[in-house]
Amino acid sequence: MHTLSRMTGWLVLTFAFALPVGAQQTPAQKDLAKDQQQRTVNQPGNNSEVWRDVRSGQPNNTTVPGRETGVLVQAQARFPGQENMTTAGEAWRKFRNGPVTFYGGWLVILMCAIIGAIYYTRGPIKLHDKPTGRVIDRFSLAERWAHWVMGISFCVLSVSGLIILFGKHVLLPVLGYTLFAWLTALGKNLHNFVAPLFIVSLLVFIVMYLKDNLPEKGDATWLANGWKFFYGVHLSSGRFNAGEKVWFWVGVVVLCLIVSVSGLILLFPNFDQLRSTMQQASVVHAIAAILVIGFAIGHIYMGTIGVEGAYGNMRDGVTDETWAKEHHDMWYDDVKSGGAGVTTAAKSGAAPQTLH
Amino acid sequence: MARMKFLCDAERCIECNGCVTACKNENEVPWGVNRRRVVTINDGVIGAEKSISVACMHCSDAPCMAVCPVDCFYKTADGVVLHDKDLCIGCGYCFYACPFGAPQFPQAGAFGLRGKMDKCTFCAGGPEEDKSEAEFKKYGRNRLAEGKLPACAEMCSTKALLGGDGDVIADIYRERVARRGSKGAEAWGWGSAYGQPPKGAAPAAPAGGKS
Repeated sequence: MHTLSRMTGWLVLTFAFALPVGAQQTPAQKDLAKDQQQRTVNQPGNNSEVWRDVRSGQPNNTTVPGRETGVLVQAQARFPGQENMTTAGEAWRKFRNGPVTFYGGWLVILMCAIIGAIYYTRGPIKLHDKPTGRVIDRFSLAERWAHWVMGISFCVLSVSGLIILFGKHVLLPVLGYTLFAWLTALGKNLHNFVAPLFIVSLLVFIVMYLKDNLPEKGDATWLANGWKFFYGVHLSSGRFNAGEKVWFWVGVVVLCLIVSVSGLILLFPNFDQLRSTMQQASVVHAIAAILVIGFAIGHIYMGTIGVEGAYGNMRDGVTDETWAKEHHDMWYDDVKSGGAGVTTAAKSGAAPQTLH
Repeated sequence: MARMKFLCDAERCIECNGCVTACKNENEVPWGVNRRRVVTINDGVIGAEKSISVACMHCSDAPCMAVCPVDCFYKTADGVVLHDKDLCIGCGYCFYACPFGAPQFPQAGAFGLRGKMDKCTFCAGGPEEDKSEAEFKKYGRNRLAEGKLPACAEMCSTKALLGGDGDVIADIYRERVARRGSKGAEAWGWGSAYGQPPKGAAPAAPAGGKS
């Protein structure tokens, strides 16, 4: 979780310069036509104003219908970190195939390595005390549905998205052209049709989980000392600890919404958006998606093999009192006192449920 | 081996769209797809109007090839950039990347349903067997295999559009420019498509550096 808070700053930085520098201001086409008329008189055969007009990327006349058919060559553009202006398509290609693929790939590998290192050095976080056998409600059925619909669609989108960006370098040499193209076509269609489900479940999820993820007293202390978690120290927290809140706000709310909006731009080419819009949307989509996948790797680890009992909580919706007391003491106290913030209090006499 | 290139002479193009029609007819291109198009700059402005016919330029370092997620593009020994429609997933990335807007899709549907990409093949077909029925259906006629040059350039009424061995068409163009008194020397698109000539080297191609 500590790494997650570190990544927050990194991520803000990335987005600060993820916005590409657009085409240079182009002089009005009318003036260029007038200038060219003048030049044809003074310097016959010199068409420099015509070429300036062409390079500006502004549409000219053509009888061929379609999007941007009047543009002879894409306008000049430059993505972050690029020294020279090139045609926007070439700039996009260099940015996507360059830093996005390179650093993105290493970020995913690094995240897996960190998780692997934590697992093999620290191991799963186990309960200190024995389970009491008494369970209390942690997630309502609706909350679990929202979580799993979003989570499963997220995984489908992540895997198919990773194949589109990295498959050429990783899977193609193994599978060969025919099989890889079949797999990627399947992935692309899954990606495009699962995406709307993800977006709807994301919005439902955000509304449902918003209240308990609002910042509280103690969150700052948690963030500063959260790493001690891996050494068996439990800091005081409410229904969600500050690490989970960072994941909620940065990963789910900010990054997933960025991914959703940029994805929608790419998903509906029928609205005749320009190539430059789709180039920018595609790099924003890729960067935000890789960052949220990095987060998600951490979350999936913590929610499955990283923390004893965590997976069962989201599967069954109930947790053992010992787990609640150790991991979310303030929430446990709230539930026990029947205080505010409790959506569904444990009912005594409910059908006995077991964990594990 | 020849290195195939296109060159459009803006001093000669009269915007007749014969190349567009020739291409559609020769290759039986599907509805909604135009592999070649003519763009007119300053249309109707006397003394300032220029037209250029453009299609896939078969770039030396083709951006479409570089961004394709399934690596469906390949380059022939003649330097022609072709693609395999059986592999194409219709993601549209080649369309984002191409400076010239050459890749076309039969649809632009919701949920990214575009169909298989189609583009100018330099009349060189595709990966199927040369001159086969399957090749014609997917990619159009393979004129190079028949010993012919692209239909668009072959039938250009003013010989504005040249297509063929880059050295040969560069020589033709250079001679034209010399006869015109070094005027209209811009071989549009050559800078973007074929790169800058090495510094200090004698220009093997007409000046095209700016575009």
